[in-house]
This record gives sequence, structure tokens and C-alpha cells, in this order.
Amino acid sequence: MLAVDAAKTLGEFTLAAKFEASGGVTALFGPSGSGKTSLINMIAGLLTPKRGAIVIDGEPVFDSEARIDLPPYRRQIGYVFQDGRLFPHLSVGHNLDYGRRMSGLDRDDGAFKRVVDLLDIAPLLGRRPGALSGGERQRVAIGRALLMRPRLLLLDEPLASLDAARKREILPYLVRLRDETRLPMVYVSHDAAEVKVLANQVVILEDGHVVNTGGTELL
Amino acid sequence: MFDLSSQEWTAVALSLRVSLVATAVSLPFGIAIAWLLARKSFYGKTLLNAVIYLPLVLPPVVTGYLLLIAFGRHGVFGEALARIGIVLAFRWTGAVLSCGIMAFPLMVGAIRLSIEAVDRKFEDAAATLGANRAWTFATITLPLALPGIIAGAVLAFARALGEFGATITFVSNIPGETQTISAAIYTLTQVPGGDIQAFRLVVVAMSISLVALIVSEWFGRRAGARVHGV
Amino acid sequence: MFARLIAIIALFIATAAEPQAVRADDTITVFAAASMKNALDDADAAFIKAGGPKVTASYAASSALAKQIEQGAPADVFVSADTKWMDYLAGKKLIKPDTRVNLLGNKLVLIAPADSKLANVKIEKGFDIAKLAGDGRIAVADTKAVPAGLYAKAALENLGAWARAEPKLAQGENVRAALAFVARGEAPLGIVYETDAKIEQKVRIVGYFPDTSYPPVIYPVAATVTAKSDATRYLQFLREPTAKSIFEKYGFSFLVKPVS
Repeated sequence: MLAVDAAKTLGEFTLAAKFEASGGVTALFGPSGSGKTSLINMIAGLLTPKRGAIVIDGEPVFDSEARIDLPPYRRQIGYVFQDGRLFPHLSVGHNLDYGRRMSGLDRDDGAFKRVVDLLDIAPLLGRRPGALSGGERQRVAIGRALLMRPRLLLLDEPLASLDAARKREILPYLVRLRDETRLPMVYVSHDAAEVKVLANQVVILEDGHVVNTGGTELL
Repeated sequence: MFDLSSQEWTAVALSLRVSLVATAVSLPFGIAIAWLLARKSFYGKTLLNAVIYLPLVLPPVVTGYLLLIAFGRHGVFGEALARIGIVLAFRWTGAVLSCGIMAFPLMVGAIRLSIEAVDRKFEDAAATLGANRAWTFATITLPLALPGIIAGAVLAFARALGEFGATITFVSNIPGETQTISAAIYTLTQVPGGDIQAFRLVVVAMSISLVALIVSEWFGRRAGARVHGV
Repeated sequence: MFARLIAIIALFIATAAEPQAVRADDTITVFAAASMKNALDDADAAFIKAGGPKVTASYAASSALAKQIEQGAPADVFVSADTKWMDYLAGKKLIKPDTRVNLLGNKLVLIAPADSKLANVKIEKGFDIAKLAGDGRIAVADTKAVPAGLYAKAALENLGAWARAEPKLAQGENVRAALAFVARGEAPLGIVYETDAKIEQKVRIVGYFPDTSYPPVIYPVAATVTAKSDATRYLQFLREPTAKSIFEKYGFSFLVKPVS
């Protein structure tokens, strides 16, 4: 459902990656500095490749030849950032609802409740992001991205800033996410243990290039 | 000793009206230009910045004189405006213009800083959630920049309240129409025995500025708390 | 919470934005020479008491006022401290010539701060005002355009004192500014109108300029071409006995034949 072929020079670093994902969780695996975040930023539309094409479900969101470059707000791609990036001036409830409102979708209390239950964030709804723990913040961030009903979900090392205990706490939620929503996901990580648990497919990046693709047996 | 004469009350009421209207009218422009300068790069940006800051460095009387040339009855824009019934010279609306222009650089400066301080990461996140640039600005950038916007507005209000040189040059000193507190104090210093009245107005002017500062501090702190997610 | 605040401010601006009774449309706007201030204020009060519409007066140097009227200032009546500036506006067809009358006269005096040691200064040809001022300055109105300054310059020139006096002048933007200078003790001498000196307790008249040394001080008054209809009534009032006695009380000489 996702075909990526993108190249860009960022300072002294050249990124040229090509891979395909057919659904489930595709992990972008590699050491820090290998270009993983830049790559998913390109998929999201926050970074523009110099040349290439990014196609989702047959629709190109970026194509340098055809001069297509959809802005992020038109790509319907959810993004869970490594630092959460919850809007500090809005309550948790309003953060969660933000994507639905901006995408012009109708209220769906059922869907809202399902996501809130999936991530166990019901008691947090009235609070402000400043009053949440790291783990709580990440769960809300995941919920926020889900509630805009994306066709693809990007996650940039969502557990990296958490300690071991929090990681153990959140990982089951991600597994539930994979199993219960069946939403295609691109999951960036440098942690092999996480990837082994979550991923259906692994894309290995090194120095800005894809060096291998396959199943989790690669790790 | 502290009950003001009718002329003094008129000057105070006029000053408040002129300053509030000047601040309110220039605020949308101030926010728009501050955003342009903070977030966009374009051909002529340096020139725009220089023009905005001009009233801050020009002698106020020069600014007033330029306004007269442009907006006086026989002025470049004044003539056209007069034809559609808008007269600014020697009117309180002209005072609004001169006070607004003199206060504008301070407003833009403060708001620009606060917009620059808004982390683009939040704007990126909003974009991924489906917010186009206008919505991102309205729902994310603006609220997060609010403390600075409040500061900019209050600063502009205080500056407009105290404006004298450009205003008296452009709209002169007509009681009830263009005689602001500053102009009234200036006039009273030339009236034999007018020192007491002048002093009363000085106290009033200081009180208004003090109240404005306290209000801005309070609102700024509340907005700041929201911005920090508490 | 913010919404409520914005609503309050918007309401205030909306109601305040209309210039209310402060400047009702039947208010007469008078532009008058600075030296008229106290006398004309009293006359205006009497006018309102006699049932006239509200009068608002803007006082400044006649030169400044004439320029403002030329640039479109909304004055109904102009009172100048000399005929020159009234002629200026007449030449630009900005006043109604048939409403013009010479209303008042005045005298030029030499003043000093109330605690000055000077007294009974003889002002005649050869009078050395520069020496009298010592190392202080002589306060006058701007001698290039303001009537009081022009009269002062004419007088000093006539008496042969101008050359020595000129570098010692402290020129204010109108005659009241010059008066204030002397009243505050900033200048040991000043040249103002007799009527100005009379209302300022902190100055003393120490000499009178001979009438022959300067052109007669005449205050013409006229309605502007944009004047409201009530202006005629006001001009009429200025010539009536009530106004006459007010002006004379302040020391002006009443030039026009009183009406009624």
C-alpha cells in the first residue's frame, strides 16, 4: 500500500531510499543518524525530497517528475512524534479531538471511546499535557493520531524517550494497536527488541540507504 | 484637588478613546506583519522591516508632517479620502492614525518575538493532523503567541496614550476633538496658574499606564500558564 | 473568558468610537490667538449662559492657526492677533470678508519676574535691552511669524535695540510660552502683551513700549468659509456690551462700535 522512492541531500548526508510496504507494521530499523526520521518526514510531507515518488494506495502524494507535492494536511497520514508534541494550551480531550476537527470529520463518539479505551486514557481527558507523565503523554499522542482516521500511521521512535518500565507499559498498547485496528504503520526504531515484537516487515537503513528488507528474522 | 474640570475629563476620555481604537485597529495588522516577518522570507523583507520601524527613529514631528502631506485635505491620499467623506486631518480619527503609526513598531516587535518563539514542531504536528496553514495559525500559533501579543498590545496602547509630537503636528490641538492628555498638559503649561491642572492630568496619565501594565501582567501570566500546559 | 473580555472591549470601542456630545454638531469651533485665552474663555462662557450653543476654542499662535485653517482644520471663527494673518487667509479666500471686523486692541509691554529688581524702565530710542538682560535671555514669541514676536521685533528695530538684542532672544512658539518663561524665572525679561502680563501674578510690567515704535496691535475676527450658521450669532455676541466689558476687564481695548 506504500511505495517509497526518495532522495535528498541534507548537508553532508545523502539519503536515497527505496522500499515498499504491503500493510501491517513496517519497521524502519537502523542506528541513529541513518536517516530514518528524515525518511518518514518525507512520507508525512514535512520534508520534501529532491527527487522520487511516494505513493499510497496507488495515489501519489509526492512525485518529482509529475510535480506533485501534497502538503501534510492533505495526506491523511497520522504521525506519532518521538516527543509527543501534544499542544500545551489544549486539554487532553481537545488534543485528541484536534485531528478530527481539522480534517472536517463528523463526531464519532463510538470511535472516540474505542480509542480512549484502547489506550486507557479516559481518566486523563480533562488534564493539560503539562500534568501528564511521559508514558501518558505518548499514549495520548497515539490516540490523537488515531482519531483523525488516517490511512497510514507513522511512529518515530515513540518509546525512545521513555525509561524501561514505561517502555514495558506502552509496548502492549502498540501491539493492541496493530492487532485491533489493522492500520498500516511505519515504525521507526533502533531497538531490535521492540521491532521483533511489533513488526511484520523490516527495512534496514544504513547511512541513508536501504541495505536489506525482509521479516524480523533479519535482526 | 482631584476633581477634574470638564476640559480635563474631555482630554482623558479622548485619549482613552483614541488609544483604544488605535490599538484595536492596528492589532490585526500588527499580528499579520509580525507573522510575515517571523515566518516568511521574501523579496523586500528587509525594506518592509525598515519601513515598519521608521516611526521609531524619525523625529515624531517629521512623522506628523509626513502624515499631513499624505492625509491632509490637499494630501496625496487625503484628497481621495475626502471625496468619499473620510477626513483625517484635525479629526480624532487622524489622531488615531498618528498614535497608531507611532505605536506600531513596538507592537510588531513584541508580537514578532513571541511568534518566533512558538516551536514549529507544534505547527508541524498540526499540519499532520489536517490543519492547513490558516487553521494552524489560528488554533496553534496565535494561542501560543498570546502572551507576546498581549504585551505588544499594551505596549502599543501606552505609547499611543503618550503620543504627542506627531499628533499635534498632524491634527493640532482642538479640545474635544484632538486634544489628548499630552496636548492638554502642554497647553496648560502655558496657562498662567495652570500647573495644578497639568499636574492632575499627569497623575491621571500615570495611573492609566499603571493600570494597563498591571492588566497586561495579569493576562500575560494567565496566557503564559496556558501556553505551558498547566 | 477571553471571549467575554473581547466583547467588553469591542462594546467600549463601539460606543466610544462615536464622538458623542463632546463635539456635537452645533458646537462652534474658534481658533484664537494665544493671548486671547483667558478673556475669550470668559466670553464664551457668557455666550453659552446667554443661550448660545457650545463653543470650543483652540488657542495657539495666529500663524500656526492660519496654517491649520489653510490645511483644512474645521474652524468656524478665526481671531488673529494681527491683520497680516487674517489678510493671509482672506487672500486664500478662506474667510468670509463681510464678517470681518477689527475687534480688539492691545499694548506691548516689557516684563520681568515678580521678584526682579527692575522697575520703571524707560523705553525710548537707544534703549539697551541687551544690557538690561545681563547674561540672561529675553523671552519673546517667534519673531518670524507669530504676531507678538513680529510686534516685538518691530519695536526693537525702531528703538535701535534689535541688533544687540537678537542674539539674546529666547523665542517661544507663542506669546504665552514667552510669558511662562518669565513667570518661571527662566528669563529675566520678556516682551508680551499688556493683557498677558496682567493675568500672570509671577511677572511684573517694568516698562511700556511707546505706541509709535510698533504698528498698532489689532485683533481682527472673521468667520471662515466653512463656518456653521451659528457663527454669525457668536460674532454678533463678541461685539455686544457683555463681551465688551469682559475684554476691557482683561485690558484689551475695544475697537469696534458695540452692537445693541
